Amino acid sequence: MTHSDTTRTEVLVAEGLRKAYGPRHALRGLSFTLKAGRLLGFLGPNGAGKTTSIRILTTIMEPDEGRFSVDGVSNEYPEQIRRRIGVLPESFGLPKQMTGIEYLTYFGQLYGRTASDARSLGMELLEEVGLKQRARSLVSTYSHGMRQRIGIARALVNDPVVVFLDEPTIGLDPRGQQELLSLVQQIAQDRSAGVILCSHLLSEVESVCDDVVILSSGEIVASGTVSDVIGKTEQNVMRIRVPFESLEEAQRELAAIPSVRRVAPASAMQGWIRVELDEAAADDAHVNNRVLETLLRAEIPILSFEPEGGRLQDVFLQLTAGGIK
Amino acid sequence: MWRIVFWRELRDQWLGGKALVMILIYTILLGIYAYLFASNSELQLLPVKQMVLEIVKAAVFVGLFICLIVGADSVSGERERATLEGLLLTPTSRRQIVAGKFLSAISPWPVALAVAIPYWVVLSKGDVALGHALVWGPILGTLLAPAFAGIGMLVSVWCNTNKTSMLVSIGVYLLLILPSQYSGLATTTVTTQATDLSDLFQLLNPLGAANRLLHDSIVLSVPEDHLWLWITTPLLFPLLVLGVLFAYVGPGLQLEGGVRRLRARPV
Repeated sequence: MTHSDTTRTEVLVAEGLRKAYGPRHALRGLSFTLKAGRLLGFLGPNGAGKTTSIRILTTIMEPDEGRFSVDGVSNEYPEQIRRRIGVLPESFGLPKQMTGIEYLTYFGQLYGRTASDARSLGMELLEEVGLKQRARSLVSTYSHGMRQRIGIARALVNDPVVVFLDEPTIGLDPRGQQELLSLVQQIAQDRSAGVILCSHLLSEVESVCDDVVILSSGEIVASGTVSDVIGKTEQNVMRIRVPFESLEEAQRELAAIPSVRRVAPASAMQGWIRVELDEAAADDAHVNNRVLETLLRAEIPILSFEPEGGRLQDVFLQLTAGGIK
Repeated sequence: MWRIVFWRELRDQWLGGKALVMILIYTILLGIYAYLFASNSELQLLPVKQMVLEIVKAAVFVGLFICLIVGADSVSGERERATLEGLLLTPTSRRQIVAGKFLSAISPWPVALAVAIPYWVVLSKGDVALGHALVWGPILGTLLAPAFAGIGMLVSVWCNTNKTSMLVSIGVYLLLILPSQYSGLATTTVTTQATDLSDLFQLLNPLGAANRLLHDSIVLSVPEDHLWLWITTPLLFPLLVLGVLFAYVGPGLQLEGGVRRLRARPV
């Protein structure tokens, strides 16, 4: 993760972007900025307006209202913007009859390079994304991970100042995800490009992104650095995992603690208990210890413990459910 | 930029793509058709001029159909294969993308013509009709191939799925070709103007006009200066289609089916 740097230039500025499909408002005034060299996680539940935002910002679609600029170029000049951005769409197809190097050469030429120049650049990019050995294989024979990698290589063919990656790790195995995320971080750092990473995998956004924008129903419900956004959530909830046979007893013991407001089984997490504390107790640094101590005194084994609100996933669930504090 | 798109499209179509397959089928069918004309005793009762007309019509009209189908696949096919978005994300203008695809879509016509001409020569048996066929077949095909590739592309731009695009395009083709086959070709009189409603419909239908022109020229040996009326529609129709394609629909090409509302923009 790179550190915040206020002196970096803004490579993407969006102001009041709105878009409606008939009566349905997909975007209700999207405004945010992205600085060079930073990785921005773009989050939101299905239907929040992420895809519409990306399509507007990549000039595939026009906004009804609002404006944006990429590297200082207004959205009134879409062809100029397309020269400055690289995009890996969520689902993209590859031609059947092209090899990896032919594919990149083709796109290099579409950005105005000569065939030989585009070819040598293509080889460099294939090396960067770890596909040099497969440069002369038909792209139709590539595995899913390799397809994502060549998609990223294509997105870099014009040395973009802003890179949009829409669900780049979807369908990859854990190792593939890890490798791809390292590559994404490398792109932001080595190329000083602003990177927008759309993902449903909140842990990956939390681990690699500097900034985050969370959308819900076409509006931004939180934005800022990852740590700032995590700090916006309720911090007075904890989850405790105990053996299944001790669940009822543990709930009774916990409910008897004066600073505990509510105890209930955590939804969709078998064996876990969700403990809500009073507002005042949230500021008490020792309250967690007292809760755990209660269980220990009752000789109930504690299998796991975690404060809720300390992870991006908790923030996401709270904010997109209308639980902003 | 259109050249880059054109070469890639050309390669896709001719290396295992639709154009190659359709030209192969066309070649086989034309061969069977010509063989029947040349060997079947009943068909041999047809005058040579009529045989030449039939084989020229088959070559031209099927050649146009191939261009139509290739055009109909050009945009909606890329939508289905999810390769259109990558192309639209490049700085290449929509019009240049359409131009590259369009030129590639008409590429089957010269191949179809080259395949057909030997059959025309063989079937004509030295008849004067061959000369007319060699003049008007290529002219009409070359005028109408861009129009039919253009129609296919117009439909393809508007449709989200290839299936819809193909069905609509084939429907348009049938609407044009069926009436052209049943309108007043029995006449042996030479006309330089539309004389009745049937003639008027035939004149307005580009395939009808082409059919009539080929008939009058090859079968009736009407002099060229008397055929100007029937060349009008094959001349104007492509201009209309290409005007719509390049002036309106092409610049509005978008990821989803349909055409974006155009607005003045300083690019």
